[in-house]
Amino acid sequence: MTGRKLIMDFPVTATSHLLADYVARGGYETLKRVLTALKPEDVTKEVTASGVLGHGGAAFPVGRKWAVVKLDDGQPHYLCANADEGEPGTFKDRWILEHAPHLLLESMLITCYALQVRNCFVYIRGEFDRPYRRLQAAVEEAYAAGWFGENILGTDFACDIVVYRGAGSYVCGEASALITSIEGRKGYPRNRPPRLTVRGLYQKPTVINNVETLSNVAIIMRMGAEAFRKFGVAKSPGTQLVSISGHVNKPGVYEVEYGYPLARFIYEDCGGVLGGKQLKCIVPGGISTKVLTAADIEGVTYDHKAMERAGSQVGSGGMVVIAEGTCMVRLLQVMLRFYHHESCGQCTPCREGMGWMHRIIDRIVEGAGRPEDIDTLVRISNANDGTTICGMGDAAGYATVGIIAKYRDEFEYYIANKRSKCGGRLEVEAGEPVHA
Amino acid sequence: MPDFFINGQPVHAERGQTVLQAALAAGFYIPYFCWHPNLSVAGNCRVCVVEVEGEGGGGSWSDIACNMPVTEGMRVLTDSEPVREQRKQILQFILLNHPVDCGVCDKAGECMLQDHHYAYNGEPSVSTVPKVRATKYFQLSDRIVLDNERCIVCSRCVRFTREVSGSHGLGIQHRGDHSLVRAAEDGAFNTDPYSDNVVDICPVGALLSKRFLHKARVWYLQPTPSVCPGCARGCTVNLWHRKHEWKLNHLDPKQNTEIARVTPLANPAVNGPWICNKGRDLAALFERPRAEQALLKGRPVALGEAFAAARRLIDDAGRPVALVSSWGSNEELAAFKRLLGSRFSCFVKSDQRPAPGEVVEDDILIRADKNPNTATAKQLFGEAPVAFPDGADLVLVWGEGFDFTQLPRGARVIYLNAYLAPENGHADVFVPISIQTERGGHYTNFDGHTGSFERLFAPKPTVAHAEDVFAKLATTVEVA
Repeated sequence: MTGRKLIMDFPVTATSHLLADYVARGGYETLKRVLTALKPEDVTKEVTASGVLGHGGAAFPVGRKWAVVKLDDGQPHYLCANADEGEPGTFKDRWILEHAPHLLLESMLITCYALQVRNCFVYIRGEFDRPYRRLQAAVEEAYAAGWFGENILGTDFACDIVVYRGAGSYVCGEASALITSIEGRKGYPRNRPPRLTVRGLYQKPTVINNVETLSNVAIIMRMGAEAFRKFGVAKSPGTQLVSISGHVNKPGVYEVEYGYPLARFIYEDCGGVLGGKQLKCIVPGGISTKVLTAADIEGVTYDHKAMERAGSQVGSGGMVVIAEGTCMVRLLQVMLRFYHHESCGQCTPCREGMGWMHRIIDRIVEGAGRPEDIDTLVRISNANDGTTICGMGDAAGYATVGIIAKYRDEFEYYIANKRSKCGGRLEVEAGEPVHA
Repeated sequence: MPDFFINGQPVHAERGQTVLQAALAAGFYIPYFCWHPNLSVAGNCRVCVVEVEGEGGGGSWSDIACNMPVTEGMRVLTDSEPVREQRKQILQFILLNHPVDCGVCDKAGECMLQDHHYAYNGEPSVSTVPKVRATKYFQLSDRIVLDNERCIVCSRCVRFTREVSGSHGLGIQHRGDHSLVRAAEDGAFNTDPYSDNVVDICPVGALLSKRFLHKARVWYLQPTPSVCPGCARGCTVNLWHRKHEWKLNHLDPKQNTEIARVTPLANPAVNGPWICNKGRDLAALFERPRAEQALLKGRPVALGEAFAAARRLIDDAGRPVALVSSWGSNEELAAFKRLLGSRFSCFVKSDQRPAPGEVVEDDILIRADKNPNTATAKQLFGEAPVAFPDGADLVLVWGEGFDFTQLPRGARVIYLNAYLAPENGHADVFVPISIQTERGGHYTNFDGHTGSFERLFAPKPTVAHAEDVFAKLATTVEVA
């Protein structure tokens, strides 16, 4: 067990994602109570008091984001659920969309009530097929049951939802690119200021939260902020859905309570490294976070402060386990190919830098590397740090700097000997698992 | 009251101004590519980065000036060491895949990338990997070719078609370093009557005018301010022609008296920084075959002989009528009024009408009246349409656009025209006159703004200025 559960607290069955099962689990009761007994400000106050952080990667306090939206500004507000889960290694929101879509919908209704939103959106990535069908079916169920539309529960509260499918761009998971995409334009991120909570979708105040973040709202309102804070640790209340993949015996989505020991999670709960190999490193939260070696994770608990102290981040919860014998040069090549492919091309450092880094790493892998290439990669990464419109330039830089800082010797070896220090493989041959 | 500080100096900023606007207004230099005063902020070139000194012990931070609102008391550094370093890095990025083919690029000499490169980088490309190849000489429209290798994807041209011309004719295809500016649909950019402005606003040599392609190096050219006579808007323009010190005596002397290109001369009251495509093609308008010989019923004569014959006709006429040109300058129209206005019944004539296929009028710049000075002409000679009174026995036609079959039966004709036309030989007296590029003057546009044009080229000695012609034809001695 990986600590107490908040989201994955029910057995998954063939019907557990349907409205009837959700209502039987006590679903939509919280919404009823919120709509009939609470004022919008009370909801925001409760969510702020819970201290819940964004689960999309940046860990921004939800209450602070919501507080920017002024209820009496006379403008329409919008809410978007960010289900464009494109960070490599991350597939946790998919679990919610597939198995608990009504939890998301109830949470969004509560959030819409808190922020006085008339129209809300779910931006779901185009490659998600079953999640999309399940979510769309859930929306139709919810409409039929009167949870969306006019006069919900006989009150004045009205809310409509649109599920919008993306077309496969990684950058559209960035909040401002996401709303630009919803507006029907090319998914380019926008410059800040203005913040999206001031001028977002259709130039109106817009709150964009990750699917998992929003799903926590109904839970917080059901149990109260105080009870919620009892989960996790002081600075990171609650739980995190972790999608673990790579060279691991039991990959999948796990709900991990913040503060749970990271090594125990990997070695015991997830069955340890594939093929009985030693752990080389992990990518802790999507490939944009810095890697942590086996030594780094000893004694580290899985929460934001501890992960930062260890030199990385919780990120998006997309954990990738990398076994001993994996070539880090090849790994970086795969990462940089992804960033090059996904750079939107709007601003100069990322547009030119990603391709440059990709061409350099390709050349190293081909055996034509030069000793100064390693420093060039670091220099390009640093030149992207904080100079781009969105965070993608920084993210690619973190990944590169993180890997080079810890495995510089592998790069030097590859350049000097024109071959990998570790056999050049990314795959591990499966053998007997270490833990029976 | 100083609102904030740039490099330690107090600077006043208007409400809502960004740091870049306030800094440029106060005379500070901040480089930029994608920012343009008349377009929205894109913030994608990242070269206008500035440093903001931290307050209360906080560390300094840097961000782009074009999207940074001025806040009271903020302390901005435009030329600190970190700023120079960041700009150098941005320029290295930009030059990474730029072909640096300045030697064959029309933009060389007025290229923002050249300027900023020498100001902040000045070093050869740091990349050792092959450059990304892209299309060259891509036909973006009938008038414009695009070199995608030179393009720095600043999106100025795209924003122009969305925010100024409204054609939405351009967009960016693909992403990353494969981004390509393309017409939204095939031929979508052909129908934009303002398309050539994107050539001016392109900060590099990516968008090129086919008319000007490889015609001249810009440092051999000089601009002369002028007024576009294409319609009643009267946009102020620069007519570019070969500098006197670079004139070609033997190789191709015709180039010395040709208009190489036309660019807008920013004038917020009239046309802003834009002109339409018709204005770009003024050379074709001015460089039609010229009439250079005075004629009496088709017989070549000297100018003086033609003047004498014309004066006799005027002296003998019972009811002379004059059709005044709406292409005359304010000075010429005033001279006609003063010297001949009392002798003739005067009507204002429309010299040019919309050509087939031309955009007649829109709500941006183009006006339906295709003459530059109808306003002054009508003010001096009235609004009445051309109507010959009974017994009209002499018609003085000044300029083009009059159908000679409409002449009253038996009337004699004095014709003043600058261009070769069949009518020239039919007139009783024909006098060739100079055109706008051969004299200075003023036009007043439809809403009362007066623009001045200057002389570019000397007229042929066999050609007269209209103003001089009127003085010669005046039957009474001018009273000062």
